[in-house]
Order: sequence, then structure tokens, then C-alpha cells
Amino acid sequence: MPHITNVMICTCTNCISNGALDIRDSLDAQIKRQGLQDDVLVVPTGASGLCVNGPILIVQPEGIFYQKLKGKDIPNLVEEHFLKGRPVKSLMYVPPGEESPIPELRSIPFFKDQRLIALRNRGLIDPDKIDEYIARDGYKALAKAVTSMTQEEVIKEISDSGLRGRGGAGFPTGRKWDSRRKDPRTPKYVVCNADEGDPGAFMDRSIVEADPHSVIEGMAIGAYAVGASSGYMYLRMEYPLAVKRIQLAIEQAREYGLLGKDIFGSGFDFDLQVFKGAGAFVCGETTALVASIEGKIPEPRQRPPRTTLWDKPVVINNVETWANVPVILNWGAKWFAEIGTEKSKGTKVFSLAGNINNAGLVEVPMGITLRDIVYNIGGGIPKGKEFKAVQTGGPSGGFLPASLLDLSVDYEQLDEAGSMMGSGGMVVMDENVCMVEMARYFVAFTNDESCGKCTSCREGSLALLEILSRMCNGEGKPGDIELLEELGEAIRDASQCGLGQSLPNPVLSSLEHFRDEYKAHIDEKRCPAGLCKALITFNISEEKCIGCRLCAKKCPQEAISGEAKELHTIDQDKCIKCGVCLDACKSEAVLVA
Amino acid sequence: MSKIKPEDLDKIGEKIKRTMLLREGSCRVKIIVHMGTCGIAAGARNVMKALMDEIEKAESKDILLTISSCAGLCSSEPMITIEEKDKPAVKYVELTAEKAKAIFAGHVLGGKIVNEYALAAGSERTL
Amino acid sequence: MIQTTDKKVGAVLVVGGGVGGMQASLDLAEGGYKVYLVEKGPSIGGVMAQLDKTFPTNDCAMCTLAPRMVDCGGHMNIEKMTYSEIESIEGSAGNFKVRVRKKARYVDPEKCTGCGECVESCLVRNIVYIDQPGRAPVQIEEDVRVKVDDILNRYSGGREIIVPILHDINEEFRWLPPEVLCRIAEVTEIPIEHILRIASFYNAFSLKPKGKHVIRVCTGTACYVKGAQRILDTFSRELEVEVGDVTDNGQFSLETVNCVGCCGQSPVITVDDDIYGYVNQTMVTGVLGKYT
Repeated sequence: MPHITNVMICTCTNCISNGALDIRDSLDAQIKRQGLQDDVLVVPTGASGLCVNGPILIVQPEGIFYQKLKGKDIPNLVEEHFLKGRPVKSLMYVPPGEESPIPELRSIPFFKDQRLIALRNRGLIDPDKIDEYIARDGYKALAKAVTSMTQEEVIKEISDSGLRGRGGAGFPTGRKWDSRRKDPRTPKYVVCNADEGDPGAFMDRSIVEADPHSVIEGMAIGAYAVGASSGYMYLRMEYPLAVKRIQLAIEQAREYGLLGKDIFGSGFDFDLQVFKGAGAFVCGETTALVASIEGKIPEPRQRPPRTTLWDKPVVINNVETWANVPVILNWGAKWFAEIGTEKSKGTKVFSLAGNINNAGLVEVPMGITLRDIVYNIGGGIPKGKEFKAVQTGGPSGGFLPASLLDLSVDYEQLDEAGSMMGSGGMVVMDENVCMVEMARYFVAFTNDESCGKCTSCREGSLALLEILSRMCNGEGKPGDIELLEELGEAIRDASQCGLGQSLPNPVLSSLEHFRDEYKAHIDEKRCPAGLCKALITFNISEEKCIGCRLCAKKCPQEAISGEAKELHTIDQDKCIKCGVCLDACKSEAVLVA
Repeated sequence: MSKIKPEDLDKIGEKIKRTMLLREGSCRVKIIVHMGTCGIAAGARNVMKALMDEIEKAESKDILLTISSCAGLCSSEPMITIEEKDKPAVKYVELTAEKAKAIFAGHVLGGKIVNEYALAAGSERTL
Repeated sequence: MIQTTDKKVGAVLVVGGGVGGMQASLDLAEGGYKVYLVEKGPSIGGVMAQLDKTFPTNDCAMCTLAPRMVDCGGHMNIEKMTYSEIESIEGSAGNFKVRVRKKARYVDPEKCTGCGECVESCLVRNIVYIDQPGRAPVQIEEDVRVKVDDILNRYSGGREIIVPILHDINEEFRWLPPEVLCRIAEVTEIPIEHILRIASFYNAFSLKPKGKHVIRVCTGTACYVKGAQRILDTFSRELEVEVGDVTDNGQFSLETVNCVGCCGQSPVITVDDDIYGYVNQTMVTGVLGKYT
């Protein structure tokens, strides 16, 4: 087991003359006293270049730089930094000419609560260079698996780690592999599902772009464990950069013999090819995905007990699941199982987007609360607006309102709350997002993506869409809400695949948490969020308008009148409610009511 | 290339670590431009180009310019990370070609962190 | 003829076992009549059984048909006479005499369990299927054909090669011209019907020509929340083109895309291979200017 922290102590002549050796002894003693000898390794190094400030200490992997150390600083330093994880500011290096050190990356809220496992190499390596991946323990897990472990041992390790499918459903990975291993039919296949169709999700793209080899290595290990010799990487064509990088990575791995025949001289053969998707959301569903690879019409089929590819056993896992595999073999199931909650182990990558200050990719231990993700990591809602909901699980998921912010994020809790983990998309919505309109958006999406096989999904989504569109147009009728609910439940029960069954989720969960908004649309013909065009008007605030004419110049209808430096007004007859004025105004004077 | 054996992994690793971690004096500074889709969308190519021009102008041989993927904070792209020998890496955010030039002059050549554009120093918690 | 008593007499003969014939038989049989259902093909079902979807509702044909087939098959009051044709009809209403020729099946339907073993073991069955009327050679310009054949030469195998081929064709021609699809069918021996279904199923493939530049407005959730619809409307208004169409001068195609995975900078649009983040409506004219 590698040490978690490395302490580089400079032992050049200069630093030794400043007492570096005493510091080193003191460090060793204090580390032992705190029982950290298995976690912290003290490494004597050569001149660091700044030894006038010696003795110098660099703590890796954080990269914290301590200077001018004295023997009496050490007990405090060891306790604070290595035991409690709080670097000692007063001893840190201050670059010349600055009053205070710039913040340490990990003290920034966005990075503080993150823990990178699947994304372990993001931003650190050049994804186009296999050597850099290898330098960060790459392909060691594969070497270990094929040269020193049996198939059963690999699967046991994965099972013990508690790893569950990161694509959304959360099926235990070890159990999936084991059932395929026991299947007598050959040849077997492994497939990486990178057909990340959920709008608002980009975890898979980032992993493949940042660290393609981690996915390849994971797949090779999986192939070894189940006895497969070929694999497919099913990647969306909307991600051209990811396609390019994974193709290059596969070529490099082949050159090194990490893919191909007789890998590491163990007799294990495995090769991988990229299959570019063609823009169909339904292909993320496993039976449709295999049909797509087989060149059939990618309609989901009645799910057999086990999905097959060309009637042979196949393991299909999500990108993130595969990327976790090498780490588990390197660090052990026990280590992995200590992260996360009782039933959801490890970390989960979320893509945080929408109305949030720090949009981006975050990897957090399972069990963290939504509040932590939205407010601590995400930095809250921009422009001081109110938080309204966070949408997880894409078009199959649901909305989680403010009252559920303290929900702990794991598979079970999210399911219970009427949403789902999904692949990890998290779209944050502020007060200006209309929930009826959002439900309409998702239904329009699934209606468009429905393959059309089941009537309930094809016609049901259309019926939902018609009702919701009517509501947004201010033509909602009493009884519509009940109709939506009835339809939603019917669609859920009667559809064959996951797309259809989960299609009503956005409608049902928004109805559950935001029923008032639906009522406002129907009874008062009012859109509380100010978004539904038919129910709003644009006006210019008397107090805020500075008369700059920016909006008037941009208005496509020339509906805004008013001289420079005077109050502008909008001619409601001409206004098409396009919102250009809203974008153009620099002083937030355009009001939506 | 012939096939590699398990023990070769360490050799490759060691070799590359030397250039990556800048222990062997071949490079003084390593500049990483974060080029994921989001970075490119935000203009990372312009930043990259500006840095390439600057390096050429400065005629320095001890600067390594390389790419990596998204650093996670997509809303603050384009980002670069500057690693100097034995110092914590510094991340710069929300860059433009002009800012990149200023950072090149100030930090890479001048050795002073350009606080104005810097986000933070150090690296993330991995594993 | 008007039946004067309400006593149901006699039997009804329905000619043709398609969906209409089956429904008629079922209604009559439910009404208490004995029905003879005559069908010249070896099985009931008719043309609808060969269709995937039906006009105009695009309903699944089999979903409509299958329940009726099962009901007809099991109905005690319907006697099915398949592989049979009518030779003559005599008499008048209420008293018809019909001569039906049952063609030889060489299989005793009473004993057959439908196991399919005979089909598998028959040595000559494929001959029937091979002898299809040949299609006329595809009319295609020589340089186009060379390009297509170049692409086709990269692949070999069964139907699994079709999506990769269409990707390459799409990249080369920027859409899928009909004569090219016919050429693919000709060379790969994949039925053109299947190729067309695949081509129309996936969003990535276009069956009509595209503009010189393709503008895609991302309508993923994150972009949508941040006003992608308004941006799409603006493009549509500025270019005077509907979403999914090409401008009159052929310069731009306007499309939507469900997430390009760049949600950190939403709303996002792409023009050809360029990605633009943090787009708002006031930027639209500027972006268009770069490509005209």
C-alpha cells in the first residue's frame, strides 16, 4: 500500500547547516507518535533551489511548501497537517513581493470536498500520452490481474469493494461480471457505454477526454475477469474530441502490447474498438445499444435475463464504472469500501450545471448532501437568486426542491425522493425557471427520442406534451393536473424499456413538489417564474432605466421607444417577447411580469 | 515496439516522472493548458497559441508547454496550470490571450505569481 | 335481402384473411354466426403483417394485428381455410354453395406442432429466396461512386457495418444522397429498406442536403435552463429559417443538438466544429457575421 502523503525534506548542505537533519528526526518521531508511519513517508531530497529559506519541506501530493522550520514547529505541524489535514499557514512559503500566499487549491470550497478516484488524472496528465498515464500507476492493475490473480479473485475484489454501476441503475458490478463469467457461451464481449445521452450531463465525456487509458485498462481487467477477448467502446458522435482521444489511446495501448494478443505474456488476449453512436438517446439503453452495435434498428427489446451481443454474453458498464476498476485493484476492495455510505460505496462524479456559480465536474464521496454540492462546491446561485430545484437523472429523473437539500446523495435516497442517481447530471434551477415549462421540455425531449415501438410511450408522451404545451400557452383547463397524473402512471406501467417507464418522472415529480405552479398556470393564467411567453409581458422599470438605448437598438421588432437618457417604453402590440432586451440591458431594468 | 512486461511499467513511469515532476533539470517550468471540450469552447486554443508565440519569442528551451484535460471548474475556463520545480502548482482561471501573455511574462519568466488571475496553488485530493 | 325472423341461420363465408377479413369474422362469430374464413395465402394476417408501422398514425402494425390473429386462431366459431381459393359460387342470398379448392400443403395441419424442423432440414428451401428479381443497376456519377466504393472497401461483415459506413458517408458528403444509399445496398447486399430505416432513425444522419455551415443550438437541460430556446428563436428569426431547414442561399443549416457536454459554459452553440459558450441573443449577429 503506497503512502498517502510524501514529505520531501531538503537535505542539501545548506539546509543541513540550518538543522534539516534534526528536523527530519523530529518528523520521524512525531509521525510515529501519532501513529501515522503507514500514511506519511519522509523522503530526503536534493537542493530545492530556495534553500536560503531552509530547512524546507514539501508535502506531496498537496504540494504545500513549508520554509524556515524550527524543531519546535514540528509537533504542531505533524498534528495539524498530517493528522487533522489542516496545513499550517504561518509556516508556508510566501512568494517574494506578496503579502499573503495565494490560497491553497484544496482550501477553495469547490475543490475542498471533492475526492478524485475516477477523475484521478484530470488536469494532471496529457491524455494523448500513454507514458504519462503509466507514470501515475497506469496499467499496473491490469498487470497485477493478468499475471497474479485468477478470474474469481478479480471478481471477488470488485464484489467486495461494493462498486455499483455508475450509469444510473446501480447494479452491483461484481455480480454482473460473475454471472457473465459463469455463462458457458463464447466468445464473450465487454462494452463501455459512453453514449451519454442525458442532456446536462458530461461526466463520461470528461473522463474519456481526460483519461482514456483508465477506461481502457478497466475494460481490459473486466474482459480478463469474465473471459472476453474483444470489446466495444460505444461513444456518442457529439463528442468529437473524446472520439479522437480514445482512438489515439487505443492505438498507443496496442503499440505497447497492452491491447492485443498475449498481454503481459500471460496468454490473455483482448482488443477494443470504438463504435461511434449516431445521435439516438435510446441507444443508452442496453438492449438498444447492443442492437445498434449489431446493425439492427436500435429499439429496446423485452429485456432478457441477461443482455447478449450476437447471442453471446456481454458485460456492459458505464465509463465511470470502468474507470474505477483499476483503482480498486491497485488499492484494494477494503480501501474503496471505506469511502461512501453503507450501500453506496466510493465516489460519484456529477456534472454541475445550470444556474450555479461554479459549474463544472465534481467527484464527491457518496452520501454527501445536496446542500454541500450546491452551496459549498457549487458556490450557490448566481446573482443572489433563490434556489428552486435541482434536477438529477436527466429526462428519467426528477426535481428535488429546497426542502430536500439535506438529502444524502446515494442510490437509495435519491430513488426514494422520486428522482434517481442517473449517470450524474445535476442541473440547478433558480427562481426564474418555470417548472411546468421544464416538465414540458423533458417530455418534448423524450417524445422526440422515443423509438416509437410502444404505444404508451410514443402516444403517451405526445399526449403529455400537448397538455403541458397548452398550460404554457395559458390554455390549461381544470382537471389537467389529474389527467397528467393518470397518464403518467399509465405510461410508467405500460412501457417496455427504461426510457418509457421513466418518461413521466419529470412531470410527476414536478407535480409533487411544485403543484402550486401548475395551479397558477391553469387557474390564474400566470407563470410565476416569468418564462412562459403567453403568460408574461415585458416592461421597463422607471427607476432602473438609464436611457442607454441598448435595448431599443437590439429589439428586432422596433417595439422599444424613448430618446437617449430618457425612460424607454415597450409597445406591447409589437413585442414578440423574444427577450433580446433582457439580454441587452446592462442595468437590469427590463422587468418580466 | 515490442510488448512490455509488467516491470517495464515502472521504468516508463520513472522516465516520465522525471520530466513530469521536473526533478531532472531539463525543464524549469511546465505550463499545462487545460484543453477539454469546455476549455476549447471558452477559448483555450487562443491561450495555447499566445503561449506558443511567447515561448518562441522568449527563445527559452526550458519551458515545457503541454496539454491536459478539463480541470473540473468548467465555468472558469480557460485555465492553465503552471508548475515550477519544487513549488506548488498554480492554477490560473478565466484567461484570454492577453492575460496568458501577462502571466507568461510575470510568472514564467519573472518568477512571480500573478495574483490577479491566479485561482489557487496546490493540487487536488486524488485517491 | 332482409331476414324476417330474428333466428340466426346458416353460416357466413369471409373471403380474405387480412385485418379486415379477420375483424369481420370476429364480429360475425361474436354475433353468433358460424364463419368460414378463406385465405389464399398459407396463413392469415395479410399485408398488414408485413408492415412495421401504418399510416397515418404511425402505429405499430403488429400491435394492431396480433390480438386479432390470436382471437381468430382460437375462435370456436371461425373455421379457417388457409391456402385455399374459391373456385365457384352458386345460388342466391341465404342459400349459397361455394366450391373451395384447398391447395396441397403436404403437411397434416392436425399433427403439425410448428416446430420448424422441416424448414431447417430442407435442402432446397433457399433456392426460392435466392431467385429474387434483380434490381436495376444504380445510376450514380462515376466520381461519387469511386468515393463511395472507397468507403465501402474499408468495411466487411454483416449488418453491423452499416452505422460506421453511414458515418463515413455523412462525413464525406455531409448528407446521405439517395443514389449513394442505393449503391451501399447494392454492394453490401443489405436491403435498402433496412439502410433507410437506420438512416432515418439516428439524428446524426441527414436525408436532405445541409447548408454550407451547420449551426447547432444546444438544447441540453443546462443550456435550456439558461435560455437556449430564446437563442434558437433568434437564429431562426435572423436567418429566416425554420429549425431543421437550410437557408434559401444554402449558407446555413439550423439544427438543435441534445447536449454537447459543455454545460459549464451554457448556453452553448456550435457552428461546424467551432464551439461557442456563454451565448446570448445579442451575440447572434456577430457569430453569423463570421461565416458569411
